[in-house]
Amino acid sequence: MAREKWGSKLGVILAVAGSAIGLGNFLRFPVQAARNGGGAFMIPYFAALFLLGIPLMWIEWTIGRFGGGFGHSTAPGMFHSIWNKNRFIKYFGVIGIFGPLVIFVYYTYIESWLLGYSLFSLTGKYNGCNSEQSMTAFLQGYQGVAKNAFFGGIGPSYLFFVITFLLNILVVYLGVSRGIERVCKYGLPILFAFAVVLVVRVLSLGTPDPTKPDYNVVNGLGFLWNPDWGALKSAKVWLAATGQIFFTLSCGFGVILTYASYLTKNDDVALSGLTASAANEVAEVILGGSIVIPAAVAFFGPASVSAIAQGGAFNLGFVTMPLALQRMAFGGIFGFMWFMLLFIAGLTSSISLALPALVFLEDEFNLSRRKASLIFAVATFVLAQPVIFLLGNGVVDELDFWGGTFCVVVFAAVETILFGWVFGMEEAWKEMHVGSDIRIPSVYRFIIKYVTPAFLFFILGFWFWQEWMPTILLKNVPAENVRYVIGTRLALVALFVLLVFLVWRSWRNKDMRRTQDAV
Amino acid sequence: MRSEGWVFLAVSWSVILLLFLFSMVRTLRQKDKRRQQGKNL
Repeated sequence: MAREKWGSKLGVILAVAGSAIGLGNFLRFPVQAARNGGGAFMIPYFAALFLLGIPLMWIEWTIGRFGGGFGHSTAPGMFHSIWNKNRFIKYFGVIGIFGPLVIFVYYTYIESWLLGYSLFSLTGKYNGCNSEQSMTAFLQGYQGVAKNAFFGGIGPSYLFFVITFLLNILVVYLGVSRGIERVCKYGLPILFAFAVVLVVRVLSLGTPDPTKPDYNVVNGLGFLWNPDWGALKSAKVWLAATGQIFFTLSCGFGVILTYASYLTKNDDVALSGLTASAANEVAEVILGGSIVIPAAVAFFGPASVSAIAQGGAFNLGFVTMPLALQRMAFGGIFGFMWFMLLFIAGLTSSISLALPALVFLEDEFNLSRRKASLIFAVATFVLAQPVIFLLGNGVVDELDFWGGTFCVVVFAAVETILFGWVFGMEEAWKEMHVGSDIRIPSVYRFIIKYVTPAFLFFILGFWFWQEWMPTILLKNVPAENVRYVIGTRLALVALFVLLVFLVWRSWRNKDMRRTQDAV
Repeated sequence: MRSEGWVFLAVSWSVILLLFLFSMVRTLRQKDKRRQQGKNL
């Protein structure tokens, strides 16, 4: 069976950019920056972008294209292709399937709220909510966490989840060129257009209430950009900036490896990786930084926003923003644009998260796309049920920590060592420049070999030093959530073991076929 | 917003826009070059 290919170079760049541009660009970044030193946050942020993010992008694009040349679209096969003398390395590659799979399970549910809210904006369903309390009650009613006057049960939320879930499955079933590339080619321009309209609207708000002169957009920008120099002395701020770069560029997840595996041998990876990173940064720093915080400060003032930002990115997106947008003329339309742009950002990311597990079944077990999609759909639909029905019991936080934080750093560390040290920098540098449209500055030979892995091991070491024991011993978990958290951890261990078994089984099958052919 | 805040905003936006323009222009130029080469063949 012939391998799929991307339809165009711009198509694959948009797909990778789409994978990177997610909810984090518009919700997580402004909150992280505002909490961690404002403008000063950008110093560790740019250090992490140039020393960690962009090198990791190049590493993943190159490993992906290299592995694709051997018919592998996921990390186990790719790692084995790089270090075929080591029979254990393929099991480290399991992290590159496990992480995206775990994130997909809860991410599609959150994505479905955005679809629901974009419709509610147009129909004016939350228009009666004029305070933070009532908007929070609306959200909790929708999530099924509380029964109230807004929603009698979880039905509407579940319906939007099923629609979103099926949409994701349909896109990945259609494949990289007909499904993913097409969605990103149309979706990203719409996303950017909506974001630009919202930025223009927010920046032209001025001082909405003249009786409160401090509540204005310029102060909103100041809230985000005024530097707090003292923050640079805190290791926590440097870690937050590094985490944000990981999160925003989708590095260390394994999804870029899969996307790049559909490139041909002479397709460029250096310029494409840089373009996808730059597009993501425009969406994050320029667009994402100019919507939520300035709008919230203009309507609710710096003191309230400070408290809201401490409450987390979700409050800002689902409570503060709809409240602020309602106070504008044509608030329903702007509300629709806000939630729809987030939904598109979520969709272009979740389809990338679905792909590694699906193509693993296809590649390593010779299943048809239809069969692999069906198995993937059934498995993830079942796994999503605890996320939906046990929301608020710590299940999502647990999945997010292990799938979206811990595994990401471990996986990035493994692939960096494999690339710079096992594959060897000479060979790796040559491979990065095959078909390349730009020359990567030579200083990156040093950065990729020494600085990026050192950066990653420092993060891991710091985490072990500060967080390992409290995390394992559930120190920060409320007593009523302990049983759910333990259940989630056991399920995650079982899923990981199952994936390790599947990798072992597929290699054993291949070895048996080779032996039979030889006989 | 303090003047330092404006400086951080201006520098950050400039770095990102320059990176984006550089990479996008190069990407589109390569696309045109390939199309031309295809026509010449």
